[in-house]
Amino acid sequence: MLSVQQLRKQFDTVVAVDGVSFDVPGGSIFGLLGPNGAGKTTTIRMILRILEPDSGTVTYNGEGFTEATRDMLGYLPEERGLYKKSRLIDTLLYFAELRGMQRSKARTIVMSWLERLGLEQAAQRKVEELSKGNQQKVQFVGAVMHDPAIVVLDEPFSGLDPVNQNIFKDILLELKQKGKAIIFSTHQMDQAERLSDALCLINKGRVVLGGSVREVKKRYGRNSLHVDFDGDGAFLATMTGVQNVMLYEHSAEMELLPGVTPRDLIAAINPRLELRKVELLEPSLHAIFLNTVGATQLVETGKEGAA
Amino acid sequence: MKKILAVARWEYMEKVKSKIFLFGLLFTPLIMIGMGVLPTLFVSEEDVESRIIGVIDPGGKVYQEFAQRFQNRYLLKNKQPNYIVLPLAVGTGVELQAAVEDANRRIADDLIDGYFVVPQGGSDTVVEYRSKSVGDFATAARIEENLKSIVTEKRVQALGLDPSVVRQLSPKLDVRMVMISDEGKREDAGFERVFLSAYVFLMMLFLLIVTSGQMLVRSVIEEKSNRIVEVLVSSCSPTELMAGKVLGLSGLGLTQMGFWALIAVAASFQFGMQLVDLSDAFLLLIYFILGYLFYAAIFIAAGSPLNTEQEAQQITSYLVIILILPIVLALPAMKTPDASWIKVLTYIPFLTPTMMALRIPIQMPALWEILLTIVIMLVSIYVAMVAAGRIFRIGILSTGKSPKLKEIYRWIKNG
Repeated sequence: MLSVQQLRKQFDTVVAVDGVSFDVPGGSIFGLLGPNGAGKTTTIRMILRILEPDSGTVTYNGEGFTEATRDMLGYLPEERGLYKKSRLIDTLLYFAELRGMQRSKARTIVMSWLERLGLEQAAQRKVEELSKGNQQKVQFVGAVMHDPAIVVLDEPFSGLDPVNQNIFKDILLELKQKGKAIIFSTHQMDQAERLSDALCLINKGRVVLGGSVREVKKRYGRNSLHVDFDGDGAFLATMTGVQNVMLYEHSAEMELLPGVTPRDLIAAINPRLELRKVELLEPSLHAIFLNTVGATQLVETGKEGAA
Repeated sequence: MKKILAVARWEYMEKVKSKIFLFGLLFTPLIMIGMGVLPTLFVSEEDVESRIIGVIDPGGKVYQEFAQRFQNRYLLKNKQPNYIVLPLAVGTGVELQAAVEDANRRIADDLIDGYFVVPQGGSDTVVEYRSKSVGDFATAARIEENLKSIVTEKRVQALGLDPSVVRQLSPKLDVRMVMISDEGKREDAGFERVFLSAYVFLMMLFLLIVTSGQMLVRSVIEEKSNRIVEVLVSSCSPTELMAGKVLGLSGLGLTQMGFWALIAVAASFQFGMQLVDLSDAFLLLIYFILGYLFYAAIFIAAGSPLNTEQEAQQITSYLVIILILPIVLALPAMKTPDASWIKVLTYIPFLTPTMMALRIPIQMPALWEILLTIVIMLVSIYVAMVAAGRIFRIGILSTGKSPKLKEIYRWIKNG
């Protein structure tokens, strides 16, 4: 169980995190969402005691931070986080020792993790010889090998192919079964939607949306029309009666304005497109995210992320 | 403590395997031996074969006398004459130009080792001893001495006096350098020993601090740019991390020094030179460790706020200038080890270890000076470590632009 209360951090004149609170019970997965610069990483750093909060508290299984707390934390940093020129096994054993493990015991555990992720042959290789995806796996092993009660993963799925994403997902679910408190940050809303039990959307240092995924969605109600179609759907974006339209090549998601029924809308669309599927649903997290944070900001974020 | 040891072990093992460390380990002693031993070997080496010296004497007045003295006076170990003096062109009517050309050709063909031309006319002049190697100072000095006395005797004779008077008047002098120890005892330590021990220790200290300091800064920068530091600092406290780094690095320094000491001992047996007294060595070791720790703190403080290799190189080059100062001062300090400015410099913590390494072999400083400087170093190390710890704690997490000095000062004050 991890509990974050009224966390605040200021750098010079910028308030990076402003009164963030949330709880992550053991045996659950918590999604930390928000655009770049929103304060996600600063929050994570304060949880891990890399940074000291200016005010607010973090409790770990009900207790404040002590040096011993470090050994029950696992951390996967956003990118890199490994010594390029060092051997994979040496690096992991070093990290394991730093988390309080016995070297000999750590070796067995690390090797079994590497085996599970298909990296046992690479144990003696240098980190720089591994692909980006494999480096991510190594970091993942570093985050979980010491069986931490609290696992913090910063963008764990970046750079992974679908097969490995699935492997990671399975492991996360397994850790959840074992009663670990898992926090992960991501930009990929569909990942968050499928994996997390609860989430928190941070923007400009503040929590703008939080709660269990079901709660959050319920708040928005079933007023979102999801359609799959063939044909040119460009006109959907400028249609009357809807807002927050998300348009893809062969599908779209749009929020109905009050007073507009799904029937009206379908009637308007039907003559112009070959509709293949129409569903009235809760909005996707992606739509909620855009709605809350504002579309322009996300576009900027996307650019930054790609750079 | 366990985590400190884990960090120390990692820092030690990863660096001991690195190429830059191996290079420093093996090549530094080679350079040292090259710089320290070879010139002295070269200067003091005695000839094993006779040298052939040609003489061009257009007047014909000097050759006979010179050849006789020169051949009889200097002997090789096997009692053969050290020099064979060959008349190249002697007597009146010598065509000087042709004779010189002929002599040059003989040198080129290795028929003679060198030659000189006896100057004509009465006034003082320059005699050129020409040979393939211009480093043969001993031969040149011997020629000068003998020519001088012959010419003097001839002039005295021309005045109508007895030439033997000159020999009586000009004693044969040989200046030897003898070092007197503190107790007023004569020590059979020549210039070479003093020079070598002072210089070699200075250079070793210097190179060790610079190479390991650079390694430290580079590793911190790598950890920062790779965000490894986040993993580290979430696993252990910054203080533990820094302590581990200093410890690992010290282990590295001691390994290096131990290895070099072995080489030095081997070399001194090989060349029959006593490099340094044991009591000196013990003291030097103490200053060595003190200096090493002090500069480790300085390098940590200087390196942890930096983000790029270029900045690191700039900072290390400033530190190198401070470190190199005593090396520049080595010669004047050897001439006047008592000078007050040298003593004053000894009390500046940045210079204390190197200045002491310089002074000890030349002239053992008084006990109170030794104790005082050790206390100064211990205090400085403590202060530097605390300040470095405060800078490190914040510095290793700072990214982007490097902080200004004012900011760093605030870190120290607030930490």
